[in-house]
Amino acid sequence: MKSRKMMLTLAAMMLASTTALAGCGGNNEGGNANAPKNETNNTGGSAAGEANAGGEDEAKLDPAKLKVYMIGGPQRDLPQVQDEMNKYLTEKINATVDITMIDWGDYSKRMQVITTSGENFDIAFTSSWAFDYLPNATRGAFMPINDLLDKYGQGIKENLDPRFLSGSQIDGKNYAVPVNKELASQWVWRFNKQYVDKYKIDVTKIRTLEDMEPYLKQIKESEPADITPLAVPKGFKPYVPFDFLLGDEFPVGINLSDKEGKYVNILESAELKSSLATIRKYYQAGYLRKDVATLDGIDNIKTGKWFADREQTQPYADLGWSRSAGYDIVSNPMQDPVIFTGSATGAMHAISANSKNPERAMMFLNLLNTDPYLRNLINYGIEGTHYKKLSDNVIEDLPAMKDGFQMPGFALGNLFLTYLHKEDPADKWDAFKKFNDSAIVAPSFGFNFNPDPVKTEVASISAIVKEFYPSIMTGSVDPDEYLPKAIEKLKAAGLDKVIAEAQKQYDAWKAANGK
Amino acid sequence: MPGILKSLLKNKAFLLMVLPGAAWFIIFAYLPMFGTIIAFKDFRIHPGGFFKSVYESDWVGFKNFEFLFSTDDAYIITRNTILYNVGLIALGLVLAVTLAVVMNELLNKRLAKMYQTAMFMPYFLSWVIISYFVFSFLNVEKGVFNQILAYFGADPVSWYNETKYWPYFLILLGLWKSAGYGSVVYLAAIAGIDKSLYEAAMIDGASKWQQIKSITLPQLKPLMIILTVLNLGGIFRSDFGLFYQVTRDSGALYPVTNVIDTFVYRGLTIMGDMGMSTAAGLYQSFVGLILVLTANWAVRKIEKDYAVF
Amino acid sequence: MADLRESIPQGAAAMPSRRRKRDIGGISPLWNAVFSAAIGLFALSCVFPFLFIIIISLTDEKALAIDGFSIIPSKFSLEAYRFLMQSGQQMLQSFGVTVLVTVIGTILTLYLVSTYAYAISRKNFAQRRFFSFLAFFTMLFSGGLVPGYIVMTQFLHLRDTLWALILPSILNAFYIIVMRTFFATTVPDAIIESAKIDGASEFGIYTRIVLPISLPGIATIGLFSTLGFWNDWFNALLYIDSPNLIPLQTLLIRIQNNMDFVVTNSSKVVSYDIAATLPTETVRMAMVVLATLPIALAYPFFQKYFIQGLTIGSVKE
Repeated sequence: MKSRKMMLTLAAMMLASTTALAGCGGNNEGGNANAPKNETNNTGGSAAGEANAGGEDEAKLDPAKLKVYMIGGPQRDLPQVQDEMNKYLTEKINATVDITMIDWGDYSKRMQVITTSGENFDIAFTSSWAFDYLPNATRGAFMPINDLLDKYGQGIKENLDPRFLSGSQIDGKNYAVPVNKELASQWVWRFNKQYVDKYKIDVTKIRTLEDMEPYLKQIKESEPADITPLAVPKGFKPYVPFDFLLGDEFPVGINLSDKEGKYVNILESAELKSSLATIRKYYQAGYLRKDVATLDGIDNIKTGKWFADREQTQPYADLGWSRSAGYDIVSNPMQDPVIFTGSATGAMHAISANSKNPERAMMFLNLLNTDPYLRNLINYGIEGTHYKKLSDNVIEDLPAMKDGFQMPGFALGNLFLTYLHKEDPADKWDAFKKFNDSAIVAPSFGFNFNPDPVKTEVASISAIVKEFYPSIMTGSVDPDEYLPKAIEKLKAAGLDKVIAEAQKQYDAWKAANGK
Repeated sequence: MPGILKSLLKNKAFLLMVLPGAAWFIIFAYLPMFGTIIAFKDFRIHPGGFFKSVYESDWVGFKNFEFLFSTDDAYIITRNTILYNVGLIALGLVLAVTLAVVMNELLNKRLAKMYQTAMFMPYFLSWVIISYFVFSFLNVEKGVFNQILAYFGADPVSWYNETKYWPYFLILLGLWKSAGYGSVVYLAAIAGIDKSLYEAAMIDGASKWQQIKSITLPQLKPLMIILTVLNLGGIFRSDFGLFYQVTRDSGALYPVTNVIDTFVYRGLTIMGDMGMSTAAGLYQSFVGLILVLTANWAVRKIEKDYAVF
Repeated sequence: MADLRESIPQGAAAMPSRRRKRDIGGISPLWNAVFSAAIGLFALSCVFPFLFIIIISLTDEKALAIDGFSIIPSKFSLEAYRFLMQSGQQMLQSFGVTVLVTVIGTILTLYLVSTYAYAISRKNFAQRRFFSFLAFFTMLFSGGLVPGYIVMTQFLHLRDTLWALILPSILNAFYIIVMRTFFATTVPDAIIESAKIDGASEFGIYTRIVLPISLPGIATIGLFSTLGFWNDWFNALLYIDSPNLIPLQTLLIRIQNNMDFVVTNSSKVVSYDIAATLPTETVRMAMVVLATLPIALAYPFFQKYFIQGLTIGSVKE
């Protein structure tokens, strides 16, 4: 899932902010390093810095009220913080906002209904994993914002890694403002450090699935039967170096090493075939759970009875994993970080096609991405009430934060503007930037496939994939027997037609973009 | 015209009675049916609201329906859907009526009440929760079934990969979950039977069994027929949770667990196309309508009073 | 089936002795025992999971993850309930909303269903077929989510009100048709005819004669409707924003959806938080307990109308 890495922060945020159940919730992820120097102070009134709103004279603007939908649990203190925001916003851009938080699990469905029914709103959160950006932009839910960005969103363009905007274009148009955050995705093997130490394993030597073999074998033979050597659930897929067309549950992609840029059937690739033979061997040797193909999740972190699993990472992930599990977890990459089209759409804000105030909406988004005062206000609440400052950009939560204001930091605008917590590494956001810079860019970065011409085939293929993937990818069945079966069935459902259509659209896109 | 008016006037007491309900149906059921047009359109959002969006979207004929029939699985999912429903409708009827009749006859009324309350409990459990229990019986390593097999020295069975058992599991679970709920209607119907009928039968020396055969069951007949006809309307729909969650979405079981609802769900997760999901629903409804109309027509021919309409 | 038929003489033979004790006679003690045992077993299979759920909800999450379901958990814990009780205030408020919606909704449902059903059950209602079909057709076809949403929010402007929880589920063709069948089978035409001769109006007949003898049917629909309102979470998901209008089931489903989100999407990811150690499974079970117990306790209230039959003759006289 391209959306995986998005979930990094999500996990924490979501539980913490869920309804009022924040009790167990720990620290808000987030926090911030490079807090800008021109710090605005609390009253906002004296902030009076130059409006970032494209130099428009705010006195001339009529008052406007913006209806905003954000993802996350409704928060007790939001009205209070919103009042504070509105004071500031009235001064800056003569606008007020009316923010509605919709819970994680409900967000997609709710927004789908709201947009389809043509209800009025101005701004909504969208992403590749909730209220999906691509299909909703394609069906016209969002307003193209390129002109607005030029006029009122200069700050966004300056602050944002340019790859975010180019990666989220559809037919040359932008439909949402991406949140500045980690951009690349990278799979890693995670290890339970207890066994790494016990067997003196050098995890940096373990990169491919094949590299795992001696260690899995050692664990299997030396440890009790209830320790799962490779603790993965049904969603497991051996890593293959492909740039996926429609996510990793759809067997079409471009091989990252293919300079031509040809879409192929991944199931027929040599890489996958050899990996499947390996995973089958592991399965038969008992390195995976016998019932892996039917396991939605696996409680390995909770039980601690595991040696290795796989996950997507981001800077300082090991720290977070270990803290959450209560024991040490270490990891080693399976691949270099890569930036895919989907990576740029991990968290974004779109302006509704029905918005009556698109200009003001863009000014607000511009502030969310450039103005540290507003950005931290919406994220951490009111200084002295919800948090106290330890230094310029380091804060400590006060009890009111835990009880009444836990917002999902990564989904609210430029993440690199936010304060850090004292337990965060001081160079956290720098590490994120470095991570983004170190990544290679996938060949189809910026290309968005429009499945409309082949949607019958896409639907049929999606249904068939679910029948075969879990058992084949986890080695639960013999790939020599089932892989050809799956391929045959997928072809009958029109896989080649989808590949041809993808190639056609991709070639056209390449030609249009001079690649 | 005057004839109709006169008839309406004559029935005004009844018309007043149905008026609030009819108004509700029109506002909450018929008005929204306008939306099914989407099944024949390539739906796009336009500024200006939903109606404008529907109006502006292009007609695509039956294209949104194609994915339902385009795979080799089309036959299997249709067959599965129909067979499971026929099984569940028929056996469900027998079970609900049997339970109601027998419970009504139990000598210990307090026991009967306790049983009835107990039988209602599965109704409150979601399929997700039930799937946990099923899993605790069927999982390969620690499952109850495999432990029993091991006790007798038999090889463990990989239950979630063996298609041959699942039709029985699914029917049994489906019956188990709905038995309590289903039997309530019949219990109430039995409670509504005039006791003087039984008194008369006893004076004639009829045994309990004869009474059941000649009074209770005939009295329940209209209800049985009408509920069965109504159930036919849902023959192309399935209890999604039973076929998706209880089977843990195991690919190996698809040949016997894939039904129209699960197929549509799996097919549309990536795109979430409204036109296609509306089309699937319309297809299911339409087949249901044909069946009900046919069944109702047949019932009408035989016994007019038992017809639904 | 075969045994059943063979046994008939036996049942008949046993009858005379029992007749004096019971006004309507009964099955033989032997058959009674057999049936009691058989249904008892079935009933046990129905209650058992629920008892088990209570036990699991009291199990320590880690013990559960390691041992799986176990009747005697190796470690007990109240953590799941403690977790849910953190939103105790909200939970109480939601409970109140649910009760209110259920009571108002059920009363209105009973009114609408019984009048409609009574009218179309009467053979002298000329338009009965039309109105039967009008109701029935809605069982098959629905406009879907979005058009229904538009009616509620843009035509009726009921978003974020209690009515948004009540109105959409207040009527249901299935209830009407079941009720109609009850009326048609349990209300003898003769009573109505004689009442008419006495000069009673149609409404008078309906309220004074038909309703009292249709109590089992009314109770059935009342029960279904109560359960329907109690278990409904979807309307609130669509229409309600204010926390003080959120019903219990919606509150619980939200918590669960959010936890599922974590488990399926990110528990394995960098959870900078407690995601991986959340008591997810035990909380899920505790939620079932909290949502089901109150309504299960209300069940006997309806039940008394199904078990004791009533003698229509008494009304006749």
